[in-house]
Amino acid sequence: MHYYLIKRIAHLILTLLIASVFTFIVVNAAPGEPAEVLARHLYTGLEEAAPPELIAKVADRYDLSKPLLVQYSDWVGGLFTGNMGYSILFKKPVSWLLMLHLPPTILLTTVSMVFATIAGIIFGVYSALHQNKISDHLIRAATIFFASMPGFWVAVMLILVFSLWLGIMPVAGYGWPLFIILPATALGLHAMVSIVRIMRTSMLETMEKPFVMFAKVKGLPMKKVIFSHACKNAFLPVLTVIGMSFGALLAGSVVIETIFSWPGIGEMLMKAISARDLVLIESTIMVIVFLFLIVNFVIDLLYHIVDPRIIYE
Amino acid sequence: MNILEVEHLHVTFPARRGSIRASQDVSFSVKEGEICVLVGETGSGKSVIGQAILHLLPQSAMVSGSIRYAGEEILSLPESAFSRLRGHAISFIPQDPIGSLDPLMRCGRQVAEALETRGVPKEMRPSRVTSLLSALSFPDPDLVAVSYPHELSGGMCQRLTTGIALASSPHLLVADEPTKGLDYVSRKRTIEMFLDLKVKGTDSILMITHDLELADLIGDTAGVLYSGELVEFGPAAEVFGHPLHPYTKGLIAALPKNGMRPMRGVCPGLAALPKGCYFQDRCPAPCTTDLHPPMHDVCGRQVRCSRC
Repeated sequence: MHYYLIKRIAHLILTLLIASVFTFIVVNAAPGEPAEVLARHLYTGLEEAAPPELIAKVADRYDLSKPLLVQYSDWVGGLFTGNMGYSILFKKPVSWLLMLHLPPTILLTTVSMVFATIAGIIFGVYSALHQNKISDHLIRAATIFFASMPGFWVAVMLILVFSLWLGIMPVAGYGWPLFIILPATALGLHAMVSIVRIMRTSMLETMEKPFVMFAKVKGLPMKKVIFSHACKNAFLPVLTVIGMSFGALLAGSVVIETIFSWPGIGEMLMKAISARDLVLIESTIMVIVFLFLIVNFVIDLLYHIVDPRIIYE
Repeated sequence: MNILEVEHLHVTFPARRGSIRASQDVSFSVKEGEICVLVGETGSGKSVIGQAILHLLPQSAMVSGSIRYAGEEILSLPESAFSRLRGHAISFIPQDPIGSLDPLMRCGRQVAEALETRGVPKEMRPSRVTSLLSALSFPDPDLVAVSYPHELSGGMCQRLTTGIALASSPHLLVADEPTKGLDYVSRKRTIEMFLDLKVKGTDSILMITHDLELADLIGDTAGVLYSGELVEFGPAAEVFGHPLHPYTKGLIAALPKNGMRPMRGVCPGLAALPKGCYFQDRCPAPCTTDLHPPMHDVCGRQVRCSRC
């Protein structure tokens, strides 16, 4: 187990390092000279072209004229010493900005995931137990419908129906608990429908397994057969889906946070990208990658707790 | 008195093309205190009969006919009414002992569950589990209780499932291939256990097996299944000693102790059965008619062969 943990942590660091290279390349390869975009954002306004002297001055001031390799090693070296850099746009340390914007994002994604998991399991199990009945068909039709709807469209529709027509939900903003309902629903819907589908299939398969048959033979009531034997075993593949969905959820949060003016890292990232605040973009992406890796790491450990057959050596 | 009466049992599964007739017109009965064995090859519809008796068939199965337990019709009973019999009066030893235990639950709890449904109070259960496990000749019952099924051997799981099935002291025990996939030692132990039960003579047992040696040893009556239907049914000593149906004769001749002479051909698929006798392609003396032979009485037993 200790050996496994050490191996996994080494893997995690290696993955982060590779991710940092890709992040740096992609951010720098984006169209538009960073110094020029930055100069317009900071001084001249977006419509006017920045004079070359100003661009040169901006590039010099923010170390953008240094060779890329030097810029990269400065940034990564900083990360190792706990210094995430300094945001040009917000004129604040990146770590300070993340401290401010990370909690809302973690709150939103966690609530979405919990909602997706609970609702997904309930609908999936219900659908499986009513296989080929009307309720099963309705649930399956709904999952296909929502799986094919883009998250931003669902978000706009939710605002339209619940905030503008019915007036029971706030349109946008940050707060608890009323403000989080619509963004969490819009964000978690895709994860939910995939959990419904996996849970349904897995449940149907498990219900035919010999141990479910034998649980019935023991004379256990059907409720007990379903909840203490079938559901637990059917849940295993869902655990994998939860880990995978978390990545999609983090990516989706960028759009959803912007729509609902949710003050998370997604919204901050959008502003940073449009102003080419390179260090802020890079460090924020690294934090997102780190979150994704940690969640999947925890899920791998959960496997071991849920399924005693899985032993890490 | 008959404890179990199966009459004209038909079990059909829908398939992509047509349907699979897993069990056709099966009729037999088990008397109180009697051990009845049903033998047949894989795919002859043996297990389906056991599952039909215990209402364990998948929902897609179409079942017709009649199954009576102690004179009461149980095939048509709704799940809520049948569950008072299952695990109490009628119990079942499954054919896949490892797969029949929940992989995510400790064995002790799985045994305790069986006691729970028999009204053993909660505080009594741990000690009852331990005594039940020692009765199953586990040297270290407390270790088995905290183990997960994958940590036990196939033979140990077999003893566990058997113990759970017998914990309710059922009136009727259905054993589905209890020796399937067991090594020599575990198989011998299982046979001894059934011989023990036979000596005690309290339970009625319906044993489904492809193990002819086991069937011969413990059976009072025996039925031979071929392609989903009974082809011979009668006292076990007669059926195995002086087989009448050419299929039974072939099975006996194929035993190692009789020189291991295999039958020619293979069983027809259950989705595309031939007209007339299902055994015609493999029969050493096939009949010429297209008529499907009915079960008929021949010297005190029933045979499905027009030449007998």
